[in-house]
Amino acid sequence: MRTPSRPFLSGLPALVFAASLTGLPASAQDAPLTPLTSDQVAARIRVGPYEIPDLPLRTNLNYAASAADVEPFGGVKPHKEHFLVQMEYTGPGRAIPEPDEVETVKIGFLGPIEPTVSVATGGGSHNEETLGKMMLKGAQLAIDQANAAGGYRARNIPFELVVRNDNALWGASGNEIIRMAYDDKVWAILGSIDGANTHIAIRVALKAEIPWMTSGDLDPTYIETNIPWVFRCIGDDRQQNYLILDYLFRKHDYRRIAIIRASSRYGRFGVREIRDGCRRLGRPVLVEMAYKGGITDFSMQLDRIAEVDPEVVIHWGNGPDAARILNAMRARGMNQLFIASDRAVSDEFVRIAGPNAEGVLCGYPWNPESASPRLEAFREAFQARYQASPETYAAHAYDGMNLLIWAIQHAGLNRARIRDMLAYRTDAWPGVTGDIPLSAALDDAGEVFLAVREAGHWTFHSREDLGIPRGEVIERMRTERQSAMK
Amino acid sequence: MKTNHLLLFCLAAGCGGLLLAEDATVPAAPDPGRPFVYRQWDHFSTANGLPNDHIFAVKVHGPKVWVGTEDGLACLDKRTGEWQSWGEKDGLPWRVVSSIDVNPKTGEVWLGLFGGGLARFSAGRFDHYHQLNSGLVNDVVYGVAVEHDNVWAATTAGASRYDTIGDKWSIYTEQNAPMEEIWNYGVCYNDGLVYLGVWGSGVLEFDIATEQWKDYLDPDREMEIDLYRDDGIIHVITTGVSYIEKALWVSTYFGVCRYDGRHWRGWYARESGLPSDFNNAVKGRSAQEAWYCTDKGVGALMDFDTDTWVTYTTDGVNHTGQAVIQRGEQVLATVDTGYNLSHNYALAVDFDGNDVWIGTSKGLCRGVGAGYYPRLQTPPSTTDPAGP
Repeated sequence: MRTPSRPFLSGLPALVFAASLTGLPASAQDAPLTPLTSDQVAARIRVGPYEIPDLPLRTNLNYAASAADVEPFGGVKPHKEHFLVQMEYTGPGRAIPEPDEVETVKIGFLGPIEPTVSVATGGGSHNEETLGKMMLKGAQLAIDQANAAGGYRARNIPFELVVRNDNALWGASGNEIIRMAYDDKVWAILGSIDGANTHIAIRVALKAEIPWMTSGDLDPTYIETNIPWVFRCIGDDRQQNYLILDYLFRKHDYRRIAIIRASSRYGRFGVREIRDGCRRLGRPVLVEMAYKGGITDFSMQLDRIAEVDPEVVIHWGNGPDAARILNAMRARGMNQLFIASDRAVSDEFVRIAGPNAEGVLCGYPWNPESASPRLEAFREAFQARYQASPETYAAHAYDGMNLLIWAIQHAGLNRARIRDMLAYRTDAWPGVTGDIPLSAALDDAGEVFLAVREAGHWTFHSREDLGIPRGEVIERMRTERQSAMK
Repeated sequence: MKTNHLLLFCLAAGCGGLLLAEDATVPAAPDPGRPFVYRQWDHFSTANGLPNDHIFAVKVHGPKVWVGTEDGLACLDKRTGEWQSWGEKDGLPWRVVSSIDVNPKTGEVWLGLFGGGLARFSAGRFDHYHQLNSGLVNDVVYGVAVEHDNVWAATTAGASRYDTIGDKWSIYTEQNAPMEEIWNYGVCYNDGLVYLGVWGSGVLEFDIATEQWKDYLDPDREMEIDLYRDDGIIHVITTGVSYIEKALWVSTYFGVCRYDGRHWRGWYARESGLPSDFNNAVKGRSAQEAWYCTDKGVGALMDFDTDTWVTYTTDGVNHTGQAVIQRGEQVLATVDTGYNLSHNYALAVDFDGNDVWIGTSKGLCRGVGAGYYPRLQTPPSTTDPAGP
């Protein structure tokens, strides 16, 4: 049995921990709690098939650090609010015996490493293989380093990466997870990038009971599924959207916003909080135009956008698309501020956009210019291994894979306990992409940034760097507020 | 009888005025009665002949109980009490059986295979349908349902309908059905209507006669909140559907709900007998009764009209269990049932006359319904708080 309250420390300002069997959140008045070491967590998750670990659950008082004025239906106290209390795994999996012998410790990788045919794109590829290959390199480097350090529990049992391509055709990613879970018998999986495919994959992970870490899917709804087996180690599009909104409206006073986006799930869900936030802040998006992947003529979309005379054009899609749209805009004399998603921060975007790239602003999930020894060491190792510089997808995959390896080293070869190590970790993971604190929804609650193309270079800025005000974030559950806003 | 504070307006002879009467005695609302509580449970595991204890599906058909596990198919012949099982070595096309239905006309057993497509088991032979040899839209099958001579499969990338007479397949995705997402999770058929529980797209209704679709989505369209109670389907991430006596029962990972064609009613654990908001499956027994399988036990709504629940939870360590009788949030009684559910992580349920079968992630169990009665019965003046 859990005790009703135990000392614990979250290390996160918006995080407290509840220890209730009912799953009810702790009140804001709860005393700070004492942290547990990894060994303490590892000891407590060794329970029988009918028991649940005696460990407290994360509780947030505000979902995703949302400012009150961009919360949905802000004028109404909702009947129920989700994602504020950490999901539990209550099944018998922790009692499954570890195998007596293994030759390798397998970890799965699902990513778009080959061009794939997709119905959703009208038969074309999602064009995400460039990202997927970098993701694979980052993951493989983490595996290599763990093996160089002695492998699984320093027994010279190597970690092995089981690599599967993420094919978007007819939900094939689901089949790949089945093979990894039941045939390859991997202990955890890292993947993927495409939001729809990852949704398919995590439903399989839930039934097969296997931990899932994404380092490349920024779809906010990925984590909004209440699956206790999924984690994310990268700042999502919701957080990037919030920062862009604050930049546009709280720092500046832009009023006329237009959106152009890919018709994929990445584009559709990537701008959702921008679109909703604009409306909630009283400056609704003037027009939102979607385009099919692979097209190069954006005249129709830009004609419509030009008609509404926006001050800002926001793009969500792949980097090359962003560059071509930007070039087409500038060619027709549209000199609006151009904001794009993080995928525009790429060599290909700069190559295609040329001088038009100057002044472009992008949301970005981390600060690659951080003066971090961890990041510097990673850069050097990556350069030595691949003769290339790491980017977002490589760096986050490296962090995600290291998190999985850390969990396996402490939990042993048991999927439920590996899941527990991640879920009950009390402090932020010290990643090369920055500290990665998990929210109650097991999402990366760390800081996101803005990338600005200045004088031929990308520069990366925090909210603090740019003096971007934040809307009031009320640290009280909406269902417990006296009124909608307080 | 109970005592209340009442404010009475009294027009007394010669003095019109206000009389405050305290502790006036008024009749209490009559007790509508108590539900049946399952107190006798049988348990089945690998020790009894199941191929695996992780139970994904259970389907009762006549004297047979078909069980889908994470490593094989099993069948109990209730007449003899004998178990038979099939694995891949016996011709089962894939080891993980996630859903089962039986064609009442032919007795053919249809198996949804988790990553292995669809299988028909008939006369000792397995026929295998998958993405590469049929119109099955995806091999990850979560749900299967027989509708007349057709078999529906809810897959992770759309739904398929197989006409077993004409040997024709129809595929339903976002291209030809109102699926905002194509991640089908559950399917059921009854009374001319097919219902699909679609992860991220609520519930879809397919009218067999008209071949028209209707969708049921969360009206607030937000993932992180439920804006108003009872305003529609409780959440778009649905896991199970069951339609009976013109009542649609829906399970989600965010609570559960019921629709009678006009009104929605939703429940969360905090306000009902649901042990948890994380619901893996649902099965309706009538328009009044439905059983919800959660990760923390089973919540049985025994009488919709009075919101009367029985919540079964088990203590597997000590082999004990209890049933809590609840009306809305109010606990009426707690009954010691002995060891009831095999495990609190419940994944599947089916009814067998008065009995109920529940598949869990560690074993299968049967609640023996000797003396079962639907809805409620007025408790006799006994000392048993659980009623009859």
